[in-house]
Amino acid sequence: MTMSNLDRRDFLKVLGISGAAATLAGCGHTSIESGVEEVMSYVNPQDFVVPGIGVFYASTCAQCGSGCGIMGKVREGRVLKLEGNPESGISGGKICGLGQAGVQAHYNPDRLRTPMYQGEGGLTPVSWERAHQILEQRLGPNSPLKGEQIAFLTGGVSGHQRVLLENFLETFDSTHHVAYDALSTATGRAASKAILGAEQPLWNIHKARLIVSFGNDFLGNGVSPVYMARQYALFRKAPRGTLIQIEPRMTLTGGNADRWYPIKPGTEGILALGIAHDLLQHEEFSKGVPQEVLDLVKNYDRDAVSDITGIGSDAVRLIAAQLWNNSPSLVIAGPSVEGHSYGFSNAAAVQLLNVILGNRGTTMEGQSEHPFPQLTPVLGNYQALVDLNQKMASGQTQALLIYGTNPVFTAPSHLPFAESMSKVPFKVAFVTHMDETAGHCDLILPLLSALEDFGSHVAEYQPEGVEVMLQQPLMEKLYPESKGYGDILLSVLKKRKPEAYAGFPDYYSYLKTAMVKAKPVFKVSDSDDHFWEDALRNGLVKWDGKPTSLESRLPALTMPKPAELATDYPFYFVPSIRPDMRDGRHAYLPWLQESPETMTTVVWDSWVEMHPKMAEAMQIKEGDILQIQSATGSVRAKAYLFPGIQPDTVSMPLGQGHTQLGRFATGVGVNPYKILDPIFDAHTGELAMHATRVAVRKTGEYQKIVKDEGPTTFQGGQKLVATLPADQAKLSKEI
Amino acid sequence: MSLSNLIQNWNSFRTRRPYEGQYEDAPYKWAMVIDLDSCIGCNACTVACYAENNLPVVGKERFGKGQAMHWIRIERYWGADEAKATEFPERGAEYLPMLCQQCEAAPCEPVCPVGATHHSPDGLNTQVYNRCVGSRYCSANCPYKVRYFNWWNYPDRAWPNPLELQLNPDVTVRSKGVMEKCTFCMQRLRAGMDKAKTEGRILADGEVLTACAQACPTSAITFGNWADKKSKVARMWKNQQVDLAKNSQEKSEEGIRGYRILEDLNTYPSVVYLERLRNLEA
Repeated sequence: MTMSNLDRRDFLKVLGISGAAATLAGCGHTSIESGVEEVMSYVNPQDFVVPGIGVFYASTCAQCGSGCGIMGKVREGRVLKLEGNPESGISGGKICGLGQAGVQAHYNPDRLRTPMYQGEGGLTPVSWERAHQILEQRLGPNSPLKGEQIAFLTGGVSGHQRVLLENFLETFDSTHHVAYDALSTATGRAASKAILGAEQPLWNIHKARLIVSFGNDFLGNGVSPVYMARQYALFRKAPRGTLIQIEPRMTLTGGNADRWYPIKPGTEGILALGIAHDLLQHEEFSKGVPQEVLDLVKNYDRDAVSDITGIGSDAVRLIAAQLWNNSPSLVIAGPSVEGHSYGFSNAAAVQLLNVILGNRGTTMEGQSEHPFPQLTPVLGNYQALVDLNQKMASGQTQALLIYGTNPVFTAPSHLPFAESMSKVPFKVAFVTHMDETAGHCDLILPLLSALEDFGSHVAEYQPEGVEVMLQQPLMEKLYPESKGYGDILLSVLKKRKPEAYAGFPDYYSYLKTAMVKAKPVFKVSDSDDHFWEDALRNGLVKWDGKPTSLESRLPALTMPKPAELATDYPFYFVPSIRPDMRDGRHAYLPWLQESPETMTTVVWDSWVEMHPKMAEAMQIKEGDILQIQSATGSVRAKAYLFPGIQPDTVSMPLGQGHTQLGRFATGVGVNPYKILDPIFDAHTGELAMHATRVAVRKTGEYQKIVKDEGPTTFQGGQKLVATLPADQAKLSKEI
Repeated sequence: MSLSNLIQNWNSFRTRRPYEGQYEDAPYKWAMVIDLDSCIGCNACTVACYAENNLPVVGKERFGKGQAMHWIRIERYWGADEAKATEFPERGAEYLPMLCQQCEAAPCEPVCPVGATHHSPDGLNTQVYNRCVGSRYCSANCPYKVRYFNWWNYPDRAWPNPLELQLNPDVTVRSKGVMEKCTFCMQRLRAGMDKAKTEGRILADGEVLTACAQACPTSAITFGNWADKKSKVARMWKNQQVDLAKNSQEKSEEGIRGYRILEDLNTYPSVVYLERLRNLEA
């Protein structure tokens, strides 16, 4: 048999005992599509496929970019539950709540089931035949589009999905891949690159004796939360490391801190320089530090820093003393540091501490070299969206393809993305669900869910060498009219460049060929088929890489003094990122809507967090509906009194307020992206997400907050949660 | 179970537990340890439980009426005295994963008028759905508030098609009018114990995990067979000097973290918590 005369199903059968094949062979006999269970005919079942017994198949979680290896429990042709895959160095057999909810993304009742076309009669379902016709008309071999006339807008994308996308653009002589991430960390990365020589170094959390985190929620929604949580667990074993968290609004990670400091938003860099000031008093640290850094730091004595940051001068001394006493340490910065007009300097000042403390080579290392640079993730940022918006508005963009991002929802209101889109003659969305952005497209293509499709993923954070993660279908597709992203792209590519792509009947064969071709790099001597089957069975292929060394620098920095709060807008506004909702793309998952946000325990809603003392002064009570007004716009939401917040700050969670994302998300809460002011980081041009200032007004209305919170940690006089001073615990004697 | 049967066999329902040597000869006694210093409050366990045990999503309105069905939940406290003394929770938050404590002397058991909640030989506090008549007395009597009543017929509405395809076939989908609660993933235990029995052995340590323990990214939850003295969970109980059959624990020295919640109510829970730690010098 040759590849070309096989359809995809046949091809899977050729794989025999390997994972995907068995799954699909098994479920071919069920009546999944109609939702009716039938007695199955297991005429020729695989030996290990027994009705009533679940079988696990490896795949990769696509809920975020961390690239966790997962296993899906499959029974009678249905995927029932996801677990972590122990083979994966990233997940290590563990899985987060967001990952678990991947099954609800797959079985979601609001999935798009047929292609839709925006014709004269409005949005109507069309056949795939018609959809392909339209695609060919616009993007086929006769398309006159060239270069930047076509744009491919995505979220973060890696692996062969990225390769195929770039190959697709190449046939238009274009490199116009626009990657946008509403929660971009581009500013922080740029600062890290400037100081430490790497955008994202490896953090050896478990080796640190002290972690000082400036607003980095690494346990909740950083670069690889499950991996970080696993490392954190080791960090807390004997000898137990200490975590200090400094941030305007307590994150999940902040809740785990030994000491939590509320800081005025945007003054983190100044506090870091204050700590540096103390450290550089000691010759051990000041040795080799360039004069311009010493000059910069000398203005920041404890009292000056305390005035600006709101952190007491004793606390500055204490933090410095602990960094001095607990080596190796690890200092990290997060979104609340970088989200300012001087976010780059702010984050750079924090990273400066790592250099002064000599954490390079111990708790911070460079990531391993990458054997396949073309598979590495393209990470999104905000600037890319601004450029695209400009091109669309000026009429330059003639065709726009959108995959894995929803800018109409996440772009702030000063970026009129939907309006600019209307100037583009042809817009295609690749989605599993109709969302706000797809609603503005001409052709909307229903994708297979992540549990139905093939793919490869390469995570940005590679803790152990490099893992190329494989995603495989855990069951037959639910909707016959849905297609894989790779399959759709390939079908167009085959028309545009038949000589190169005609040999691939589908994305699966493309992926397999690509992986097998890469076999020599993995130093595997197996046959091609064995290599591929092993890769699918394990869910990944590992490449032995070693951490690299970091080239740190101490460039001259300028640190502006943050402007005082003005009377028109007397509050700092902190948009918080929920570990489960992220930028809002997961709001359609009912388990996550009903999962209480840990810090507040609120469900199914948006809310405004305010410090109880400030609320008391303003006579605000929980449930009072507040209007939060920025220079750009306003939203209304219920007050929630929250002690873990700097008193001049109000905070709202991102992710809710959808107008179009299915029944579980639409109409739930409000969308704070829309009130963010047009303030940008001076160095990177990224949107400064934490720089907006707001006024808070009572509307006089009230609605009860729906939450899980109980009254107190005491019940019948007994304390439910007991806390022991760490030095009294006998961790080394524990099991 | 008929009422007459219940009355005739009343004594078997009213065995005083725990008693010395109760599990000496038993093959299984399921127990748990939750390390509050490792728990990061991430909710992986709670979502895993929804996925494994067919827990219905009830929606905002019913959640607001206290009708949520989360068999395990993360309670978040600020530490009442500390929060009052200072303006901010400067020692972070207190996260408490709360689930059925599988009490040996469970307050929910004796009050059930129909014997729907009773004790299993492997030390679980079980709920028999088809005996339950919905008196809700058990829930009223539970000091941990971990029993959940089906006020509505969730099979009608909680899983709009095709969400119902995700339902775990090994777990009953409960209908209106019955009480439900954490089972320690009894379906997993049952399958595992049956398999081991067929093979003429008892389950190995770690062979079967509850969904929450399996998911937990920090491995804060340790689950296992307490009757097997070599199991990790049994060794941890011993190491933490918690005696299943005592209602207050004497520790040989300071700094031993194991405790059971509301132990002085004589509930004899099967879940040991390890005290949260904070470096107070930070």
